[in-house]
Amino acid sequence: MIAAIARKEFLDAWRDGRFRIAAVVVLALLGVALLMAWQQVERTRSERAAAAVMERENWLNQGVKNSHSAGHFGVYVFKPLAPLAVFDRGIEPFVGTTVFLEAHRQNQAAFLPAQDATAMRRFGELTAAAGLQLLAPLVILLLTFGALAGERERGTLRQVLSLGVRPRDLVLGKALGLGAALATLLLPVALLGAAALATLPDAEGGGSWVRFAWMGGAYVLYLAAILAVCLAVSAMASTARAALAVLLVSWAANAVLAPRLAADLVQHILPTPKLVEFEAAMNQAVQEGLDGHNPRNQRLQTFAQETLKKHGKTRIEELPFNFNGLVMLESERMAGEVFDHHYGKLWDRLEAQDLTVTWAGLVAPLLGLRSASMALAGTDFTHHRHFSVAAEEHRRDFVRVLNEDMMNNTSGGHHGGVADPSLWEKLPAFRYEPPPSAHALRAATPGLVVLLLWAVVAWIALLVVAPRLKPN
Amino acid sequence: MTSHLFKLELRLLARERVAWVMLVLFAAALGYGLWNGGRLAGQQREIAVAISKDKESFHAQLREYLGRQSLDPKAVAGQGTMAVLPPAPLPLLATGQSDLSPGHESVVLWKLAAPADTRSELENPSHLLAGRFDFAFVLVWLFPLFLLAMVYDLMAGDRESGTLRLALAQGVAPMQWLLRRALARALPILALAALATLVAGMFGSPGGTTLRLTLALAVVLAYGLFWVALAVAVNVVARSAASAATSLGAAWVLLVLVAPTLLNVSVETLYPTPSRPELVAAGRKASGEAEKRGGDLLNSFYRDHPELAPPGQQADFAAQHLTVQGEVGRAVEPVRQKFDAQLAQQQTAVGRWRFVSPAIAAHEALTDLAGTGYWRYRAFREQVNAFKQTVADFYTPKIHRREPLTMADYERLPRFSFREEPAGDWLERAAVGLAGMLVLTGALGLWAWRRLRPSRLEPLSN
Repeated sequence: MIAAIARKEFLDAWRDGRFRIAAVVVLALLGVALLMAWQQVERTRSERAAAAVMERENWLNQGVKNSHSAGHFGVYVFKPLAPLAVFDRGIEPFVGTTVFLEAHRQNQAAFLPAQDATAMRRFGELTAAAGLQLLAPLVILLLTFGALAGERERGTLRQVLSLGVRPRDLVLGKALGLGAALATLLLPVALLGAAALATLPDAEGGGSWVRFAWMGGAYVLYLAAILAVCLAVSAMASTARAALAVLLVSWAANAVLAPRLAADLVQHILPTPKLVEFEAAMNQAVQEGLDGHNPRNQRLQTFAQETLKKHGKTRIEELPFNFNGLVMLESERMAGEVFDHHYGKLWDRLEAQDLTVTWAGLVAPLLGLRSASMALAGTDFTHHRHFSVAAEEHRRDFVRVLNEDMMNNTSGGHHGGVADPSLWEKLPAFRYEPPPSAHALRAATPGLVVLLLWAVVAWIALLVVAPRLKPN
Repeated sequence: MTSHLFKLELRLLARERVAWVMLVLFAAALGYGLWNGGRLAGQQREIAVAISKDKESFHAQLREYLGRQSLDPKAVAGQGTMAVLPPAPLPLLATGQSDLSPGHESVVLWKLAAPADTRSELENPSHLLAGRFDFAFVLVWLFPLFLLAMVYDLMAGDRESGTLRLALAQGVAPMQWLLRRALARALPILALAALATLVAGMFGSPGGTTLRLTLALAVVLAYGLFWVALAVAVNVVARSAASAATSLGAAWVLLVLVAPTLLNVSVETLYPTPSRPELVAAGRKASGEAEKRGGDLLNSFYRDHPELAPPGQQADFAAQHLTVQGEVGRAVEPVRQKFDAQLAQQQTAVGRWRFVSPAIAAHEALTDLAGTGYWRYRAFREQVNAFKQTVADFYTPKIHRREPLTMADYERLPRFSFREEPAGDWLERAAVGLAGMLVLTGALGLWAWRRLRPSRLEPLSN
């Protein structure tokens, strides 16, 4: 019985002119989005790779120079764009692409692509993710709002039920038939997406295919939940018009209102520190120690005394190496602790904000999906943090090698002396290894849990509502 | 007769509970948007004020010091000067680019050619991505939805139920009837939006915002009228209230959600944003090369500018750095200009194509009038670039000649003050945007009117 109803609904959907138009529009938009995104991601990736090569040459060709000057000349590293940005650009336009690595300081990633774009960017981006998050639910809505309420209004529901069809079978049949119609619409999108990923050069890093599969799962959960909610509303509404009104308002609340409202409200609950205060606190901690009672000069004096004692000397000039180099190493180590603490706190705060927004997905499922989708695509904040940490590790290695050179290659008590250009070769180029899919899954878990809850609860609700289907 | 119809419709509306719920929700959204925008504007104003205070106290100290003795210009130049964009004229209207583009930049003589760090506040990137719940959001996104909820069913429902025939039998002209109804039903929402615009205007920067506010008010009303006209046009042909609602909903999705993103993606494909990493790497290359030739560069510089050569001819580190920096600036300038030109081209394309959707036109006009849009930030960036040149021109000769800074120099110290765009520029952009919206509205109205001539009117759904 269910199969027969499903088949009828499936055919009905495809014969419906409105659904066909909506399907064509959505498919075309998703196709355009994928194509354009593929092109943009490919271009951005090769641009950043080219810049990285050029910067490496700049580093190697800096000629004869004092090693500490080289530390101030520094290195720029560029963030490679995750391949799955083809589907979901996430926060990529709003985080820096470039980190300047230099002695003494940990810098934030600078140059947000959105700063180099028109204000149109603020309307959101046309990506496959946006299409599936915002437009696909509208297609479902269009497909389902009249499915039960419309039949009730026309009186056909009474006829069908009078034939002895169990209401539960009718509802499930409709759900399956409409779901199948939707699946035939979205399957080409998935295939197109797979093709886009497969043809993108060097797209395998970070477990792209595992991420892709989980992303597919997240979207299926989301759309399945929406299908069930829409059918349940249609089952309960007295007229198709009432069902349409309720569903349109819910859609707007979920798709338009919720993302902004949640992102705004979380700033009131967990405020982001001000840049001035953040930097002041960090600079103070560099000078006076993390606890504020341990001035830098005093610590370095103690350090000097300990070093002399260790080597059994009384004067710094007697040490077998350049003591300034050792001081540089030690102060980098001390500053590193401060940076880890303060940046760690800031980033934890941003992650906590994102997590709160994700859990707000229990009210508006889009928030859960967005978070899961970005995490799996590798374009969420946890991935940006992973990159920032990797860049900072590279900075510390690079400064350490330079300081060790100063310590061992120039005589005591001087900053002077020049390093051999072969030293530049000793510093490896920055190679960023994106985190494995396990990282993405961990980051996506809250969002996936939200979606799973939505899907389960929505389908249970549909099954609860179904037997109570009223013929009029 | 016609004013009677108007009043009747208002009275009917007042009896609808849904209408009151809509009004309260819209008022709440407007209120929250204004409050939120006010908070952000307040924070930005605080930062600008704090920087100005710092600047003043630094200058007071400097003045006092110079009164006693002269100073090494290197010490003063190293302190840098903050270039600050003053608070926007009407910041509550739209956040625009103000949470993204830096509103201040520290100009330090030694770092003039280095790629500037472009961050002026810590922001959660997800918050930037989602966008702010500000007045412009309520107006561009939600305002049409509330309007459409009020006016989606002007005639289609009557046609469906057969009462249209009855109504028209009263001898009222169909267009007149439809227009009166539409305006009566839209009036409360339009009035709230207009009132909120005026409230936003009260918190503008003092003086000279009346014209901006008047235009903003016109933009808000024109944008609202566009959606009312669209509802009228759809109702002329729609067979049922549900189909009118679906068509209007689809129009909203296409115009507000899809068109802007399509325009964005097309503009970025046609005029691809130049590569920022490439610009950075190119600047580095130039600076690496110039640094290597540092000594030679300085010597040849002194050959060209013997008047600047220091008395002892001993090239010092600062002079060499400045020469290298000048060379880097010259080498990178063409790349930077290409970069800026490409960005300007993108924005010009957006300006040209904004009429694809009144949502884009309204958003552009509102951010422009608020003073938080692309153009004011662009003007700021350009003026900061020019200011960097002023700083270089002031300090460089002194450092080469090793001249001390004296009280006589105090008044001539480079100070940044932002010159607002000439009123004609933003006036033209906003007026064109407004005219475009009115033309679209007029065209829809005209089409509806022609369809409603008695010979073509279909009072029954068949």
